[in-house]
Amino acid sequence: MHIPDGILPASLCIAGYGATGAATWYSLRQINRDRNPQAQIPKASLLTAAFFVASWIHIPVPPVSVHLVLNGLLGTVLGYYAFPAILIGLFFQAIMFGHGGLTTLGVNAILMGIPALIAYQIFQMRHWFKTQWGNITLSLFAFLAGGIGLGLAAAIFFVLIITTIPGELDVTTEKNAIYGLMLAHIPLMLIEGLFTAMLVIFLNRVKPELIGD
Amino acid sequence: MINRPNTPTAAEAVLWAFASGLFAWTLGNPLPAIAHGVQLTHQTLEAVEVQALFDNGDPISNAQITVYAPTDPETPWQEGTADKNGRFLFAPDPSLAGNWAVRVRQAGHGAILNVAIAPGPSPEAAVAPPDATGVPEVAPSSQTLSVRSPSVNPLPTGLAIASGVWGFVGTALFFSRFNGNGRGGPRKKEDSVA
Repeated sequence: MHIPDGILPASLCIAGYGATGAATWYSLRQINRDRNPQAQIPKASLLTAAFFVASWIHIPVPPVSVHLVLNGLLGTVLGYYAFPAILIGLFFQAIMFGHGGLTTLGVNAILMGIPALIAYQIFQMRHWFKTQWGNITLSLFAFLAGGIGLGLAAAIFFVLIITTIPGELDVTTEKNAIYGLMLAHIPLMLIEGLFTAMLVIFLNRVKPELIGD
Repeated sequence: MINRPNTPTAAEAVLWAFASGLFAWTLGNPLPAIAHGVQLTHQTLEAVEVQALFDNGDPISNAQITVYAPTDPETPWQEGTADKNGRFLFAPDPSLAGNWAVRVRQAGHGAILNVAIAPGPSPEAAVAPPDATGVPEVAPSSQTLSVRSPSVNPLPTGLAIASGVWGFVGTALFFSRFNGNGRGGPRKKEDSVA
């Protein structure tokens, strides 16, 4: 899911940095409107740690293996804190382990962070359905947010990669490999959706104010 | 009975004339001969073996490999596919010393490896008779390329993960002190990395 250095043209990398700058500024502005912007930092920091570790958790989907991303989960639980959290997590992954790259940090932050913000909006839609089945609605929307957050990130990744295959490669082979990886992310969407739902249910039971309203 | 000399009939004469004409034509215009001799040559070369692995140690099976010579970093010098173990062997031209770039790619994942080739005398080429035993000997100088991570060794990676996690958890604990509502979020017990 992380796009490494040397895959994308320079113009895209620069555009990615520009878009990431704008999205970070917007997220921080939204965070500053809170009564106490620091209140959510411990939660955001712990989930950044989870995001940072998630890319080592490989799930074999024969013939390939995919790793957890958790960007939908971060968006669901953190809201606007998710974008800076993902940016920081990606930065440390890039400098410590070469996951992704520093030139593609902006692009990677966009492809994981924007779906996270969309996941948050999906999770907020649960308020339209005030039913007596509060817990079911909560877990259903958490599942959708977690799954769709990852699915959108995967979709952006594949569009970027497929449209920038360099000419010297065997395009058919590369496209087939990309389609295979794309299909492998469908079970991962279910896994991350379930994971998000479980975490939201747990937090709702332990400390409901952590989920926000 | 009178023995008459055999005089050919007109039809026979025409047939003979045609046959001899055909024979003369084939002599004059020989058909192209199809030869079945095969000549195989072999050379003993220095080869570079590249192995492409994901950072969890899995091989990048059938990855697409592009090799660039040091003289021309734009045009591919050789293209190929790694085997199912992520291995790829290529024999760089010994007359082109310098950094050979090997680009590995599969489904948007990949990396570039630079292989330094020192200038050296080129080995003599030999023409071998066509037999099945002429297997070229290669002296592989194995280079492992790990895509997306410089090391597959679990210990430094584990230490780095632990220290990164500890940094994030420490941040969470630090900011939770300033919150009026007590502890910010669930606490995990982490072993600090000395």
